[in-house]
Amino acid sequence: MSVLSKPWIWAWLAALVTFAATIGLTSGRGTGELAYAALSFGAFAAIVGMGQMLVITLGPGNVDLSIPAVMTLSATLALKAMGSEPGTALMGLGVALAVGIGAGIANYALIFLLRLPPIIATLAASLVYQSLAIWSNRGLRIRPPEGLADFATGRMLGLPNVAWVGLVIAVVLWAVLERSIWGRWLLASGQNMRAARLAGIPVELVRATTYLVVAALAGLAGYLLASFSGGAALNMGAEYLLTSIAVVVIGGTSIAGGYSNVPGVWGAALFMFLVVSMLNSYGAGAGVRSVLTGAIIIGIVIAASTRRLRT
Amino acid sequence: MTRKMMLLGAAGLVAATGAAQAQSDTSGMRIALSNNYAGNSWRQAMLQTWQETAEEAVSEGVVAAADAYTTSENQATEQAAQIQNMILQGYDAIVVNAASPTALNGAIAEACNAGLTVVSFDGIVTEPCAWRIAVDFEQMGREQVAYLAEQLPEGGNLLEIRGLAGVFVDEAISAGVHDGVAQNDQFEIVGSVNGDWAQDVAQKAVSGVLPSLPEIAGVVTQGGDGYGAAQAFEAAGRDTPLIILGNRQDELEWWAEQRDANGYETLSLSIAPGVASLAFWVTQQILAGEDVPKDLTVPFLTITQDDLDQALADTPEGSVANVSYSREDAQQVISDAR
Repeated sequence: MSVLSKPWIWAWLAALVTFAATIGLTSGRGTGELAYAALSFGAFAAIVGMGQMLVITLGPGNVDLSIPAVMTLSATLALKAMGSEPGTALMGLGVALAVGIGAGIANYALIFLLRLPPIIATLAASLVYQSLAIWSNRGLRIRPPEGLADFATGRMLGLPNVAWVGLVIAVVLWAVLERSIWGRWLLASGQNMRAARLAGIPVELVRATTYLVVAALAGLAGYLLASFSGGAALNMGAEYLLTSIAVVVIGGTSIAGGYSNVPGVWGAALFMFLVVSMLNSYGAGAGVRSVLTGAIIIGIVIAASTRRLRT
Repeated sequence: MTRKMMLLGAAGLVAATGAAQAQSDTSGMRIALSNNYAGNSWRQAMLQTWQETAEEAVSEGVVAAADAYTTSENQATEQAAQIQNMILQGYDAIVVNAASPTALNGAIAEACNAGLTVVSFDGIVTEPCAWRIAVDFEQMGREQVAYLAEQLPEGGNLLEIRGLAGVFVDEAISAGVHDGVAQNDQFEIVGSVNGDWAQDVAQKAVSGVLPSLPEIAGVVTQGGDGYGAAQAFEAAGRDTPLIILGNRQDELEWWAEQRDANGYETLSLSIAPGVASLAFWVTQQILAGEDVPKDLTVPFLTITQDDLDQALADTPEGSVANVSYSREDAQQVISDAR
């Protein structure tokens, strides 16, 4: 029973069940297609979800609501800087990451210097980022350079390239959280910030880096998503606000902070795509779909959290 | 001076203002645009058209000012407060693209009571004192199916891409599509997904549902989602069906590429963001004392195979196909409604 006690197992089980239910409808046709689509679209949710996971791990009240706006702003500025010219992909990546890190610094400055609660600080900052994105390009859609678009939509060893990016980030984050001193500091700060501070952990440094990392990951996700879908759009990040939080919770990360769960985020990201696909395939209307999605999410969270209490 | 005389004087003042309107002079009047959302390329093009129309009208002395205001959170309460501010600022007319058809009615009624002219367009309001420049969204749905029936006389399976769940525009277009399918029973809707009028969301939703769908002959859309659907079909290695497109430049460019490669034929059906300029001129006509019916209808922007090249040439890269309406167009729309 030890594997069932892992909080991440429930997200993966749910993803597998929804996958099987969808494939059952088509009697096996399109299995590869569906798995490929789930990995492609799940990767974006997983990348921003892992960032959100780090912030939520910091403890109650810590959440980054500026993820959608940072995605939009990074993607808009990166695509504008590249201007569809070939060979500019790395420069564009640099712009996207720099914008992300800049937004992270601004977010943390609001939280630390003005002592604003993170929910307010990141929400207010996101209005500024969104306005900057609108102002910088007026919603014009610039195509990504062809090589970059081919990379974002391409595959390697049968897996989508964007999924590889998401997997590499997952492995790195897992190693950092489980094996590095910074990861231990983050978990300790999330479990009890006061105790961590008294124990000599540089709590504010940990918070600062966390808000920087989440914004950088949002910038990367925006850059990849814009390259994947043929350009940045002003509303491109909108659906990742709730998704980024949902995948963290479904994935078995404690919403109270102090416990991270990298594999769960990936399982939940796949599940979030598959559950919509399954309900669409069964012809459920938008209302039924929302109700069922909500009910399933609550079920998984309950399953994951009761298991944790028993162990 | 007796109280009676004062009242007479006030009545005379009102009559004088009325007379000024009949002289069609609006040069001293100020119009405000209350806009609920700016976060997509259609709205950006809409605001730009408004600005161009307003600047020209102001420099020609048609009106004294035509300022645009956009709420940041797309909330009806926020927009109601914005409208109340406009009343206090002494505007003569408010042009509104509303966050909700009903939630602003209180603020709109206040504006009417304060003597302002209120014209709603695109996102219209139900308050009877306001004018409505509405889009016949159901007709938009029916016309898509009518075009498919023309192009695919033998019929087939349809995939419906809907907009944002719970918004009345989505309900209306979908009702029109279903009505059209009921009239053309050679078609069957085998799948329906929500694309939220966003390219990447549509691409994701279609990718997820495609494996479970039989062969698709046509895709009915709501605008902003056609290119995403095309990408999803391509990624799944399926034949591209007949996808009705909207007016975004990337959709039109994709259409032109397909046409050159394999003679692909389709139709683009949308509402031009320039409808803001139509609203401006209708408002000006009302202020000038014209007798304007309360309900007006916006013409569709239709791009066919024949005028695709022209439309592409006229549309800035990455923007949306647009037309700007003139005072004469507004007069035409008004006389059509009479």
